[in-house]
Amino acid sequence: MLLSLKDVKVHYGRVEALKGVSLEAEEGAIVGLLGANGAGKSTVLRAISGLKALTTGEIWFRGERIDGASPQSIVSKGIALVPEGRKLFPFMTVRENLRLGAYLRKDRSQINKDLKEIMEHFPILEERKGQQAGRLSGGEQQMLSIGRALMSKPTLLLMDEPSLGLSPLMVTEIANIIVDINKGGVSIVLVEQNARLALSLAHKGYVLETGNVVLEGDAQELIDNEHVKKAYLGG
Amino acid sequence: MDATLFFQTLVNGLQLGVVFVLIALGLTLVFSIMHIINFAHGEFYMLGGYALFYFFAQFGVNYFVAIVISMLLVGLIAVLIERGVFRPLRDFPLRALVASLALVMLLQGAGLLGFGPEDRGVPAVVTGTLALGGTIFAKERLMVMGIAGLLVVLLYLFLHRMKLGWAMRAVAQEKEAAALQGISVNRTSAIAFGLGCALAAGAGALAAPMFYIHPFMGSMPVMKAFVVIILGGLGSIPGAVAGGLILGLVESFGTTFAGGVVSSMLSFLILILVLIIRPTGLFGHE
Repeated sequence: MLLSLKDVKVHYGRVEALKGVSLEAEEGAIVGLLGANGAGKSTVLRAISGLKALTTGEIWFRGERIDGASPQSIVSKGIALVPEGRKLFPFMTVRENLRLGAYLRKDRSQINKDLKEIMEHFPILEERKGQQAGRLSGGEQQMLSIGRALMSKPTLLLMDEPSLGLSPLMVTEIANIIVDINKGGVSIVLVEQNARLALSLAHKGYVLETGNVVLEGDAQELIDNEHVKKAYLGG
Repeated sequence: MDATLFFQTLVNGLQLGVVFVLIALGLTLVFSIMHIINFAHGEFYMLGGYALFYFFAQFGVNYFVAIVISMLLVGLIAVLIERGVFRPLRDFPLRALVASLALVMLLQGAGLLGFGPEDRGVPAVVTGTLALGGTIFAKERLMVMGIAGLLVVLLYLFLHRMKLGWAMRAVAQEKEAAALQGISVNRTSAIAFGLGCALAAGAGALAAPMFYIHPFMGSMPVMKAFVVIILGGLGSIPGAVAGGLILGLVESFGTTFAGGVVSSMLSFLILILVLIIRPTGLFGHE
């Protein structure tokens, strides 16, 4: 198993945000995490990437226990997060943002090659490479945030609400990008409020409600599930 | 006003301005990375002045080497203070602000005990004047401007060309995202604090041959540096440079025409006006 969370509990102050979450992601898969606002989806990603410490539980990545490690060491192990709200460096250029994604890498010539490849993959970023990231449109910012995460050459990409606030056309484009990245051999954990989108892309899904996993299964199973239909797919 | 007086006042203003710029750059750097308003910044300026006094005037070390030593020494002290005082208060900006006020008293007291209450003088480094088109300039002032200008350029190059400088800008702009790229926020904050205080020490070392040194010498410059960074825009490097030069000129021309007290009042009047009319300053965002 590429990634597994075992009975993970996380608190914000006295509030228990995750009440014992266990989930797994297989190598090469796209795993969707569904749930309403405040269900704990983002907290799962923050816990995996080392931004939020666990109260109890374990996180394993490629046979190694990683809970308690710093965000830096988790990036270096091959996990990258595309955070909610993109979190770009707004006063740095598009190129500088991408370059910072490779902060821990030392292979300078390969970094430049990857930079070129990402620019080819996202032509709009090539076009805007000298512009400040804060001046890009929402969709462009999302692409840049994804591109920046890819610059660390991750094995596992965590994506937090990549479709949030984007036009329907842009959502489709981001969906295609996610599939492309996965085809390129990167495993993905996708957090989405847009359940329809998440289940159309994912191989496997988990449904979170108030800090608990209440349902899990193949994407198709979840799409056919009555509770999921009613609560997340609009009947 | 005749041309000679004008040019001399101009040069005096620029020379005062570059010292303000150095102090303000350190203050703004620390603010943008750690979100701390460090009231004790002036005390690092004081420590820089004393370090220069001891190494240059007492131990006879070369002036330029003594400046470097004082910056390194004060930078190191600052890193230890960041570790012991500001890091535990990282998530509590108000507590950090109060702690920085306490540090003012502690460091001034330590200065009083360690260095004594009397004013110390540092002998002039270069003497003589330079006549340019009928105006006479003290070589020392020109040298101070040159060194301060060099430090500003070096800081700019560091922030834009070196990996550690990139890390600092990234932490300043989006701390959590910086951590997600593998940048250590702890290490970056410690270095930024050390660097910021080293710049204050450099300003103190440069000012030492021109003013007297005493344990309370940092109080006024830090207030001026606040005017500078609010005028230029909090967290903005170009803002600190422009704001420092503007304030230096205001003070210099103010002193020439209206005297020292009025000119100092003018600076703080500007501070209040900027806060009311344009709180983001000249170069600030949001």
